[in-house]
Amino acid sequence: MAVHSESVMSSRRSYLIRRVFHGFMALFIIATLLFFLFRLGLPDPTAALITEGLNPEERERIRASFGLDRPIWEQYFIYLVNIVQGDFGYSFHYRAPVADIIWERLGNTMILMLPAIVLAYAVGAPLGAWLSWRRGSRADTSGIFVGLMFRSAPMFWTGMIAILIFGIGLGWLPTSGMRTLPYEATGFFDKIFTLDFLHHLILPALVVALYYLGSPLLIMRNTMLEVYGEDFIEMARAKGLPERRILYAHAARNALLPVVTQLAVTIGLAAGGQVVVEVVFSWPGLGREILNSVRTSDFPLAQASFLVMAAFVISLNLLVDILYTMLDPRVSFK
Amino acid sequence: MNRSRLLKSAQEPVRAILGDRLALVGLAVLMSIIAMALFAPFLSTHAPLAVNEREEGSIFTRTLEGEQVRWEALPPLGDETLNAADYRDGLGMAVGRNGVVWRYAEGDWSRLDTPLTTTLNAVNIREDGATLVAGVRGTVALWTPDDSWRTYDMPEPMGINGIVWLDDSTALLVGGGEVIWRLDLPRGEVETLASPVGRGFDLNAVALDVDGSAWVVGDRGLALRLDPEDDSVSLERLPGNRALNHIHFADSGAGLIVGERGTLLIREDASARWQSQNAPDSRAIRAGWITDEGHAFAVGRSGIIFEREPGADWRLVPSSEERHLRALMVTDEHYFAIGSDRFVNRLAPPSGEHWFGTDHLGRDLFSQNIHGSQIALLVGFLGATLVVLIGANVGLVAGYFRGRTETVLMRTVDVMYGIPFEPFALILVLLFEPSLFIVILAVSLLTWRTVARLIRSQVLSLRERPFVKAARVAGASDLRIMYLHIFPNVMPLVFLELAIIVGVSIIAEATLSFLGLGPPQSISWGGILHNARLSGAWREAWWWNLPPGLLIMITVLSVFFISRSLELVANPRLRARR
Repeated sequence: MAVHSESVMSSRRSYLIRRVFHGFMALFIIATLLFFLFRLGLPDPTAALITEGLNPEERERIRASFGLDRPIWEQYFIYLVNIVQGDFGYSFHYRAPVADIIWERLGNTMILMLPAIVLAYAVGAPLGAWLSWRRGSRADTSGIFVGLMFRSAPMFWTGMIAILIFGIGLGWLPTSGMRTLPYEATGFFDKIFTLDFLHHLILPALVVALYYLGSPLLIMRNTMLEVYGEDFIEMARAKGLPERRILYAHAARNALLPVVTQLAVTIGLAAGGQVVVEVVFSWPGLGREILNSVRTSDFPLAQASFLVMAAFVISLNLLVDILYTMLDPRVSFK
Repeated sequence: MNRSRLLKSAQEPVRAILGDRLALVGLAVLMSIIAMALFAPFLSTHAPLAVNEREEGSIFTRTLEGEQVRWEALPPLGDETLNAADYRDGLGMAVGRNGVVWRYAEGDWSRLDTPLTTTLNAVNIREDGATLVAGVRGTVALWTPDDSWRTYDMPEPMGINGIVWLDDSTALLVGGGEVIWRLDLPRGEVETLASPVGRGFDLNAVALDVDGSAWVVGDRGLALRLDPEDDSVSLERLPGNRALNHIHFADSGAGLIVGERGTLLIREDASARWQSQNAPDSRAIRAGWITDEGHAFAVGRSGIIFEREPGADWRLVPSSEERHLRALMVTDEHYFAIGSDRFVNRLAPPSGEHWFGTDHLGRDLFSQNIHGSQIALLVGFLGATLVVLIGANVGLVAGYFRGRTETVLMRTVDVMYGIPFEPFALILVLLFEPSLFIVILAVSLLTWRTVARLIRSQVLSLRERPFVKAARVAGASDLRIMYLHIFPNVMPLVFLELAIIVGVSIIAEATLSFLGLGPPQSISWGGILHNARLSGAWREAWWWNLPPGLLIMITVLSVFFISRSLELVANPRLRARR
């Protein structure tokens, strides 16, 4: 018995190590692709920086300061070393280190997306369980309909309509930015723990939450339907437990796994996935930043933002796999 | 026999859709959207990118709020441009295109029945209310207060631009080609007066001075004075040589002449000289009015309205809307400005002419929305087909061959999972030009990953089934087993993914277009919303925002409904308990 559990432990450990390694490999490949994609599309990335009438020596000096006078493989090597050291270069547009900008924007994005997604799942999953219990009823059909409806409406449109109704029409909520200007934040927590900030958060967060609501709702409902057929549910019924207890204590607990998985994947994608909400609500997040950097041809910022988002997605996917191995004992570590 | 097996595998999803009411609704909606895309040119009421103009009998009234002057639009008088107006002793008249004549009495406008169909450009009222109207092709008609009309024949079909009563029985008419006619009304005779210039310049307006002489103004700053005592027509020297459009005299002898490029000439009293004045805007001024005290008004193209306090400078005053203004009518209580030529029909709310209204450039939104379905469906279906083609094959190959092939393919899928969609598309557009190709590429490059994973896991279990083993023993090749034995069994899943990804692609396309990354000069639902946001007018123009979003929503929703019934085929475990 002890020998057996030890072998399970070690196989789990080696599995995790392998997964982490794969994650790093994926990141490395994405970084490489990104490097060559940028060199392919923008042979001279400093073009946006070099204004007309700049003399050739000056131009060469700028190119050299970005290392663009060296051979391509050497540039690639320096690029990789810099990434590992967390040095993403210097933004053309802000004339400041890219890393500082990205961390701030990422923080802004996450304080919008995390509450929104958590809200969507906190409402969607129980609702889905309830719908599965009432399957075939009118409530079931309309629940699915509403969930799918918000999933089908583009988020930027829902946002615009929400602004029209609650911001402009009724005048209840602010419609753009993170806080009423002018404002000087002294620290991150000072920044987010104010009523003004929460006031600004409500509308965009609700729009995001409504969009994501359908996903946990449908997954939960469908998984529940599958779980109802499992032996242990029959067992619970045979024991004479009340339906409600079977639903929440037995079935729902077991149906939660795919929902949790989806939650992690969604959070991973959220880091950069919702450019449009940030654009519509003028939220100074990473998504809006990448759009701006594209518009201003600020390639160091665009490149680094993208890499950070990719890293985020990959880490969350990794987390999902790890969660799986811990939550579902049936998973084999092959 | 093998073909029939493939057919059979496609049959089941079809039966599933037909058996599910929601899916049937979805199918019906999707079919209508497809029909909309196919027949877009026939369904749309206008060219989707054409600028639409419209015409109306615009009328504005001057309002005072404290010190603040503002001209407010009143409900328009009909659909025809109004070109000229006159007012005398409680009776007002405005004339316009298609022989339209409006009467103003006791504060109300009413349209008169006229025997005229040609455009009218001039109107003048006699003391007793008898009104002369005149217009293009020598049209001249007299209206008397017993509501009867009499028309007069002119010697030549010249356009008449100005008309004025000289006394109770004669009127002076001026017009194109430098014609000056004196009309004897009781006899219906026309006498042609010779102009001292005689070069065929257009004459644009005529007015009676306080001394009884008639002033005529026209092209190239031409001004003539007719002395009715001896019938002599003399040339007057005025500053400037821009075309002059209108002339007005107050009873005090103050006079105002207006013309092209902001030309404003004022005579302070009967004995003063004409002075050129600085206009605050250099557009064409079409009509002017001056009071006894020297308070002056002028209106012109693009809704410009100037006012001038006696002795002060001219200034622009605001108006509630922008219309080409052509005439001023001053009654005892009101100042009216009257127009309008064809103007661009910007941001018009839905109407019989424009069902979904117009955008900031006056383009018909109904037609844009109809045409928008084309790109949505093209990207939706082309993208999804591409995605499923790539994804299904990768999944099939990876699941069937396993080993190194599988590792390489699945690691590639892992890498793909690390790429966030919108930022990736943004980068693609940063590096390459925005085009439909980039949009489809972005959509398909990043969605095949899900399909590959799903198909692979199905193939993994299928390849161990007895029928595959039997086929292998019978000597079937790998390709044969993969595509003829395994593939039909994953068909339900393929169809399900196809449906879901059509929805995902449509939203993705809309998103990219909304961010302004769609191909330029193309019409898409996301693009319409992009324009709305960019113009800033979306905050008021609900008809601009609402339809494209609703269309995206019902299209994607219909696809999702269909996909739900396909889900039952792909995963029969759900069916038993539905």
